[in-house]
Amino acid sequence: MTASATSTSDSILTALQALDKDLIITFAVPGFVLLILIEMVVVRLSKHGRYDVKDSATSLSMGFGNQIAGILFGGFVIYSYFWAYQYHLFDLGWTWPVLVACFFLEDMAYYWFHRIAHERRFFWASHIVHHSSQHYNLTTALRQTWTGALGLNFIFWLPLIYIGFPPGMVLMFSAFSLVYQFWIHTETIGRMGPFEWVMNTPSHHRVHHAINARYLDANYAGVLIIWDRLFGTFVPEDDRELPRYGIVSQLGTFNPFRVAFHEWAGIWRDVTRAKSVREVFGYTFGPPGWSPDGSRKTSASIKAEWAARQQAAAVPAE
Amino acid sequence: MIEKLPVLAGSVAVIVLMLTVAFALGFRPKVQLNDAALAQLASNEGASIEAALIAPDAKSALARLTGGKIMVARAMGGDVSARIAPASAVHARLKGQKLSVQFADVGYPPLHMKVQTPPAWLADLVGEGR
Repeated sequence: MTASATSTSDSILTALQALDKDLIITFAVPGFVLLILIEMVVVRLSKHGRYDVKDSATSLSMGFGNQIAGILFGGFVIYSYFWAYQYHLFDLGWTWPVLVACFFLEDMAYYWFHRIAHERRFFWASHIVHHSSQHYNLTTALRQTWTGALGLNFIFWLPLIYIGFPPGMVLMFSAFSLVYQFWIHTETIGRMGPFEWVMNTPSHHRVHHAINARYLDANYAGVLIIWDRLFGTFVPEDDRELPRYGIVSQLGTFNPFRVAFHEWAGIWRDVTRAKSVREVFGYTFGPPGWSPDGSRKTSASIKAEWAARQQAAAVPAE
Repeated sequence: MIEKLPVLAGSVAVIVLMLTVAFALGFRPKVQLNDAALAQLASNEGASIEAALIAPDAKSALARLTGGKIMVARAMGGDVSARIAPASAVHARLKGQKLSVQFADVGYPPLHMKVQTPPAWLADLVGEGR
């Protein structure tokens, strides 16, 4: 490498290190707005995709509330990262190989956060907000939780900090991941050929947002779909079964406060009525829908019922 | 917090812009509940309707399903949201012609609808939920 190339490379690393990570999202916002306006026009002209002004108002209000929550509680997350960094195992620093490794590991950490956010009710209570729209458009991408920091979502990234990845680097890739995931919330883009093999795409993420039994609990990827392929949660979109969006028990409200807190209220209600420690634990950290007598529906029970129906339909009647 | 206020004000302005455009483009779907829609919702849960009551504005409905469960449905713009629960888990009140149905679910606020002639099964429900 020549001296000037080395100098340029070092300058980029220094600039990335100094970058205010909030600016990544701030700079992306005009692009978000423009893309939403374009998508609205495309939906109007093509009739491909759906919008509802009330639903979008709720989604955008949730995004606004998330912004306020970030101002109020974001410091807590950053403090936690820097606190954990005191005990880091290795001095990895800001180098290109570390950047590449951090990109992959941050994306894998996102996969596990996201998977557990669907599989454990305590984390689902925050994440359910993002899935609570019956629509799937770019405003849905902005329907974000207000309780992410209080719901301890950040703990899934702490192992990276503990290993020795600089907190600023992890925050930077988290911000890039968030920005990347915006554009995949659309029905106006179909399949994307070989891009679908490696990257998370609108098609893959439509499956993730769908409540059809065959699509439940699939495609948790952030940027790279490889983690779903690797850990066995990948489900391709099937043209014969259009996704239905939302949550299993669709919300009956557009009120942002009810959207933000309804699952937390549900946990509180169940825990205060629990009859044993096991029940408290199950209602809090069990799968969403867990109940002591199995009377409520979980993803697993919905999928099992669906599989049984499929099997019964496949067996010819005698 | 104070230094973030201009950013927050900008966000509000942009949200208003986007919603104005959505409104102007006519994204204001309205679904009307009817017997067929209720039957479909019930059948999704493996049940069928025994008796149903649809509000005059067709935006909300209450139905008694086979097996004794109760279903409520409400129009959510162009979509429908429903809840099915045992009659004992539903708190129903009838004051004059105004029916209120409440679930223990913050995500599904109480349903209020006008009932001109309450059917007999509704009186049973109001009695049970009391």
